[in-house]
Amino acid sequence: MNLSMRGIYKSFGANDVLKSVDFHLSEGEICALLGENGAGKSTLMNILGGVLQPDQGTIALDGAPVQFHTPSQSLDAGIAFIHQELNLINDLPVYENMFIGREIKKKSGLLDHKAMIARTRELFESMSLDIDPLAMVSALDASYKQIVEISRALMMKASIIIMDEPTTSLTDPEIERVFQMLRTLRQQKVGVVFISHKLREVMQICDRYTVLRDGAVVAEGLVRDTSVENLARDMVGHEVRTQARTRNAQLGVEVLRLESLTLEPYYRNVSLSIHAGEVLGVTGLLGDGRSELFRTVFGDMGHYGGRILVEGKPVVIHSTPQALALGIGYLPRNRKENGIIKDMDILENGSIVIWRQLARCGLIDRRAELAAFDKQRQGLKIKMENPADPIGSLSGGNQQKVVLAKWLSAHPKLLILDNPTQGVDVGAKEEIYDIILRLADAGVAVAVLSNEAQEIIRVCDRALVMYHGDVRAQVSGDTMNEQEMMRLATGS
Amino acid sequence: MAQTAKKENFIQWFIRKWKSSPIFSTGCVLVLMVILQTVALGFRDASFGAWLQRWGKNWINILRNNAGVGIVALGMTFVIISGGIDLAVGSTMTAVGAVLMVIINGYPTGLLTSVGITGPWAYVIGIAAALVVGSLVGVINGSLIAYRKLPPFIVTLGMMKICRSVTQQCMQKVSVKVPAGFLAIANTKIGGETILPILYWLVLALVLHIVSRHTPFGRRIYAIGSNERTARLSGIHVERVKTWIYILMGALVAVTAVIQVARIGSMDYANAGSGYEMDAIAAVVVGGTSMSGGKGSIGGTVLGMLIIAVMNNLLNLMGVPPFLREAFKGAIVIVAVLLQRKEK
Repeated sequence: MNLSMRGIYKSFGANDVLKSVDFHLSEGEICALLGENGAGKSTLMNILGGVLQPDQGTIALDGAPVQFHTPSQSLDAGIAFIHQELNLINDLPVYENMFIGREIKKKSGLLDHKAMIARTRELFESMSLDIDPLAMVSALDASYKQIVEISRALMMKASIIIMDEPTTSLTDPEIERVFQMLRTLRQQKVGVVFISHKLREVMQICDRYTVLRDGAVVAEGLVRDTSVENLARDMVGHEVRTQARTRNAQLGVEVLRLESLTLEPYYRNVSLSIHAGEVLGVTGLLGDGRSELFRTVFGDMGHYGGRILVEGKPVVIHSTPQALALGIGYLPRNRKENGIIKDMDILENGSIVIWRQLARCGLIDRRAELAAFDKQRQGLKIKMENPADPIGSLSGGNQQKVVLAKWLSAHPKLLILDNPTQGVDVGAKEEIYDIILRLADAGVAVAVLSNEAQEIIRVCDRALVMYHGDVRAQVSGDTMNEQEMMRLATGS
Repeated sequence: MAQTAKKENFIQWFIRKWKSSPIFSTGCVLVLMVILQTVALGFRDASFGAWLQRWGKNWINILRNNAGVGIVALGMTFVIISGGIDLAVGSTMTAVGAVLMVIINGYPTGLLTSVGITGPWAYVIGIAAALVVGSLVGVINGSLIAYRKLPPFIVTLGMMKICRSVTQQCMQKVSVKVPAGFLAIANTKIGGETILPILYWLVLALVLHIVSRHTPFGRRIYAIGSNERTARLSGIHVERVKTWIYILMGALVAVTAVIQVARIGSMDYANAGSGYEMDAIAAVVVGGTSMSGGKGSIGGTVLGMLIIAVMNNLLNLMGVPPFLREAFKGAIVIVAVLLQRKEK
């Protein structure tokens, strides 16, 4: 099915989000939809998915104009939207998930399990997928869950599939598995809209690209005619550095030292040290234990074996307030679940770790709170209107900066950053890298946990590569390159 | 923005406020209720002064009768904002009341009277003991919920049964006389009216409002209720805060017990405080606090309590039979939540 959206215009209040956008998708084509957060990608796709109605413009499928007022109308027309948060029920088997809301029933009104299993098996075979229809969804890894969602879309006869950042929580082998599925879809004449920030993946899997900036299409074309650098420039509107910078780290005291830290089954015998003014990278694939390792240091994992020394003194850290009191900060991965509190405003999210310090005679000094936050807001260039606005009103990159602000306001000696640029667009990513380097220059010890080799190379002075809970090796200088880190991370 | 604000007519403004602020919507409902109640009360008095006096007396009655549940509802607000629930409040009150009465027992064989301690000192000891017992129940509830990660519903359901049954068993053969001096705590007249319980309630509401908005502890309750994981990863001692919430709840229940004992001078161990948990939860919910935690306010709970109280009074004035009044109470809880639901 060929899709064409023409002259799509949409505004929220005085804010023009889409200004006459054209978007096309042919059958059997994978088209990347690129743009920074707030460029209008989600709005455009929500219009296609029937979640939002355009103010102006037309949508046509195979030349016939259509209008979607609800998501189910869009789905009936063959358009499936697979959101970042998957829409599967973990405690049901795969085949029941395939038919949620559209179950096959026997004449008696009871569920026809046999027919549903058979249909599921049939579909999996046609896609050459090796998934047991009877397996519980909770037992599948993230990539198979993704694949089950896609399969469900196919079961509903979808001929256009919108995927919103499908690879963010996947490891490399898992990403490859999803890509394999996308290639099969291409053969079966299904069109795919692939929304992603990961430009390398776009280069690898997509046929065409469309770049949105400030609600307008600024570039489109065939992927084979462009490069990562060009795409990044189109998205941001100016040159983006993707190369490492040389930095002369001025090392101070040893802020953190781990001696054979062990917490089975996550990691074992980890010894490392981080000095003031240093940026240490820790990388690996999913299941490498790096998050658990540093969550232990932040007191979030409870009891452990081995020793932790902070500024040379042995300490015991069993709770997060203890870690905070020792001058350790931790910016967690998965901002939505771990980083922000959605019912609180920007200011409260940005000051939560220093509420106690802000209290005078037991009451929080509102003026001091505003002053402390304002200082961070300027330093981090957070784009916002009113500190009393809900945190959800900010873009992903600015939300992440607020989470950073909350930790910077506590002036930690050691700052642990776990996937600091997750779900953050290219421009804001660069700003966050600059902030990290500025912090290190100011004498903070920084640990950057990341699965993006580019990120490690970009900001870290040296890096540890972990594999299934063991530290494989330390890389720095020439050995700190993508190939070497991947070799170590895969355990080969 | 300024332009759109100008174009907005009154109805649009009203709808926007109604949807965005639970305090506004509950406030509006309350005003409507008070108007209806005033009409139901009638204007058949000789003079305006006489009418005002009757109206005022009616109000003092309403407030006084609901001060006890009102205080419990304040603590319940914190519990529910943190994502929990406390079903044990009613029977905890009975248990605390029993302990209090045994300690201040006015018979010569009473606990303190027999060793020669009477009067204010006995009352101070009794009230302190009540607070300790209430808080102790809170410690048990709180630590089971926070540290052992048991569901609040189950823990407090169990505690509800335990408190009442143990109290009834222990108090079977004990006869208690509350000394007349103790009754002054709730019954001393100010300006010719018995308004002390109302004052206790409103002062506590004010203090807890400030606690909820302006102290680290108060804000942490919201943080935990909205996103426990983020709260923990922001260096908040989630278990400790949660335990303190239930301790505060227990202490407030103890305050209510003191007021009830001082007001009535006796306690029916089988029935006193029963239904308090549901009435308090109803007030909290009508006041706009979300059962899923993270959102709500003390001010809302006070308004919610008043709505339920005024409605009760209204039904009474209209001659609705007592058995049917509970149905209205149930209906208003459902309608309130229905009205407050934000459209997606």
